[in-house]
Amino acid sequence: MAGIESTASLAAAEADVTRDAARRLDVVFRGGAGVFSVLVLLIAWELFARSGRVTAFMLPPFSAVVERIYGDAASGDLWINLGLTLYRATAGFVIAAVGGITLGALMSRNRLIRWIFDPIISVGFPMPKIAFLPVIILWLGLYDVSKISIVVFDAIFPVVTATLAGIASVDKELIWSALNMGASEREVMWQIKLPAALPQILTGLQVALPISLIVAIIGEMVMGGYGLGGAMMSASRFADSRGVFAGIVEIAIVGYALIKAMAVVRRRLLVWHQETAERS
Amino acid sequence: MDGKGQIVVERVTHTYRPPRGRTVLALSDISLEVRPREFLALLGPSGCGKSTLLYLVGGFLPTEAGRIMVEGKPVTAPGPDRGIVFQHFALFPWKTVRTNILYGLERQGLPRPEREKRAQAFIDLVGLNGFEESYPSQLSGGMKQRTAIARTLAFDPSILLMDEPFGALDAQTRLLMQTELLNIWKRTPKTVIFVTHDVQEAVYLAERVAVMSARPGRIKKIVETKFANRDPSILRSKEFVEKVDELWNLVRDEAIKAQETKAT
Amino acid sequence: MQGMTLAGFRYLPLVLLALGWEAVARLNIIDSQALPPLTHVAVAWVDLVRDGELVENGASSLYRASIGLLLAVVGGGGLGILMARWRLLDVFVNPLVELFYPLPKSALIPVTVLWLGFGDGSKILLIFLGCMIPVTIGAYNGARGSDQALVWSARSMGASQLRLLWDVVVPSALPELLNGIRTALALAFILLVSSELIVSQEGFGYLIGYLGSTGSYEGMYAVVLTVAFLGFAADRLYQLLMQWLLQWRE
Repeated sequence: MAGIESTASLAAAEADVTRDAARRLDVVFRGGAGVFSVLVLLIAWELFARSGRVTAFMLPPFSAVVERIYGDAASGDLWINLGLTLYRATAGFVIAAVGGITLGALMSRNRLIRWIFDPIISVGFPMPKIAFLPVIILWLGLYDVSKISIVVFDAIFPVVTATLAGIASVDKELIWSALNMGASEREVMWQIKLPAALPQILTGLQVALPISLIVAIIGEMVMGGYGLGGAMMSASRFADSRGVFAGIVEIAIVGYALIKAMAVVRRRLLVWHQETAERS
Repeated sequence: MDGKGQIVVERVTHTYRPPRGRTVLALSDISLEVRPREFLALLGPSGCGKSTLLYLVGGFLPTEAGRIMVEGKPVTAPGPDRGIVFQHFALFPWKTVRTNILYGLERQGLPRPEREKRAQAFIDLVGLNGFEESYPSQLSGGMKQRTAIARTLAFDPSILLMDEPFGALDAQTRLLMQTELLNIWKRTPKTVIFVTHDVQEAVYLAERVAVMSARPGRIKKIVETKFANRDPSILRSKEFVEKVDELWNLVRDEAIKAQETKAT
Repeated sequence: MQGMTLAGFRYLPLVLLALGWEAVARLNIIDSQALPPLTHVAVAWVDLVRDGELVENGASSLYRASIGLLLAVVGGGGLGILMARWRLLDVFVNPLVELFYPLPKSALIPVTVLWLGFGDGSKILLIFLGCMIPVTIGAYNGARGSDQALVWSARSMGASQLRLLWDVVVPSALPELLNGIRTALALAFILLVSSELIVSQEGFGYLIGYLGSTGSYEGMYAVVLTVAFLGFAADRLYQLLMQWLLQWRE
């Protein structure tokens, strides 16, 4: 099973860093030094842009970018694009989450299913799955279905890996206690194994969410049309540098918001967990 | 004995087969009988297979060679007639004290008001009032073990299987818990198989102590350890100390043997 | 020998998947245009290699990814280690690193294109910027974990800062650093393929797009599978490299 173990270590490495991303944002925005650095960065940006050393094309001033974002918000363009991107990313994420947890649970219970999917997951994990986007477009056209599908294809892997790892590491004494009290195999899976694996499953979901956003944006960039990615690519093609930078800022904000949201959800769901107890 | 005990272990052999590495013969042709409502200790050095025997009686491991009968019927699976308490508590960390205890009652299909009443009764019994809504991560070791004991007692098993339940507690808490266990046992007498490597604990708690040999495990000798009363003052009585000595001599050779096999 | 049959058994489902593909395509269950038989794809692959198209574009892609990744490893690794050793730099740069970590790196594609156009430069810059973050974080965490006792005892023996770095800090930072590079490797492939699919004049992504738009679907599948496989192989080879490098530590 070396395949899935090495995949798991890659997944775990990514998971560690991603899950800590929320804590890192806390470092940035609560630590005085953090806010200081960010402010310095923004001021440096503004000054450097205005200094004349670069053209306004190469690096529009931060103030101009903010103005642009404000304009897009007022005209409604921002909301349309944002909404579409979020829709595609979230839909893909939810499908990947449900599908991934289910597949992981099935794989942990059924040897045949495990054998079938094990190499698919361990080979597929490190692949740049975005390469399959043209194939998906060939099959499903240039609509939202394709964008959501590629999101699912990319995001499902960390969820399955995390679910498998989580269920495998459930303390056998917990399972035995439940059996002792008369629980059936099915009750053990749903009432004991999955709740016990929840911390790890949530970590997998926390990795899958940023992936969903990234892939949705890439999909939009490739296919064009509306959405934050599509809008940014159009801006790039029309040499609209303010639009491009506005897009970066917007995507950054959305990315952070999603990470923070996941962290809050994690803390709520895991209020009983060691790590939450330690922090409070 | 005559094969009419409540629990009958008949010539059981068990081999432990890890996914990687060599197989290990854990128990070899071991036999034991336990009378109804007696408190029996399984005493032996670490690695002698006493926990394995407990898990076999509990039905958590399959009996491959030999027979284990409970109330005349062979053991094939875990069940609520044989309640188990683990050394590391095995509490469901996402459930509160109360919902942990309720879990077994829910599996039994008791109606809701009765479940709540029973759960509360056992919370009172082990002295955890005020902590019903706490999570295990918020409890001390002693409190966790009390919750585990309450959880197992709540679904009223006739047999109690205890796997070094106080091993993870500090010495003072351990002594308190031992006395409490005896009190609880006096009030609701059940058959208890208590696994431990602590000689004094075995002599204090049990009526009979079955000394196990080093791996592969067999019953070396069974010693009666009934005392007139069981309050903590007997720990220093001459009778008690002599008993502990007697058992320690039986165990010591096995403990040395266990160390040697570990080194190889 | 037994090891090989075991490995074969483990990967058997993939073989079954390939057979399934062939069967489904030939039986025309799905439109044969959209799913050409695997054998046809293999033939197309051979043709592309013979024409030189696959190799040329492949070389271009790998060139970009390698340079970008190399710059990221050197730059990010150096930055991370310096940050761990030099408090002032750490305090200032750390929040910036942590600020940029959660940014979806794909957001940098349009701006690199804006700056450097469609060619090699923009791709290399993209991969450099995107991959630097995980490497920096890995190097930083790894260097931070350097056993203080080792550092002090080396210093007391008169080791210069540079010596210190080389003999003590880098080896103990190695596992985390190598893991960071592994993440960067996967990210490099993703950014490479994405940017080439979106806008490029050569490279794997470009070739895929070109074959797709001209209806040569067998060829398109061939290149897609090639890229996917390369990403997988790169990760596996890198793992072997990691094991080899780390064995010296023990």
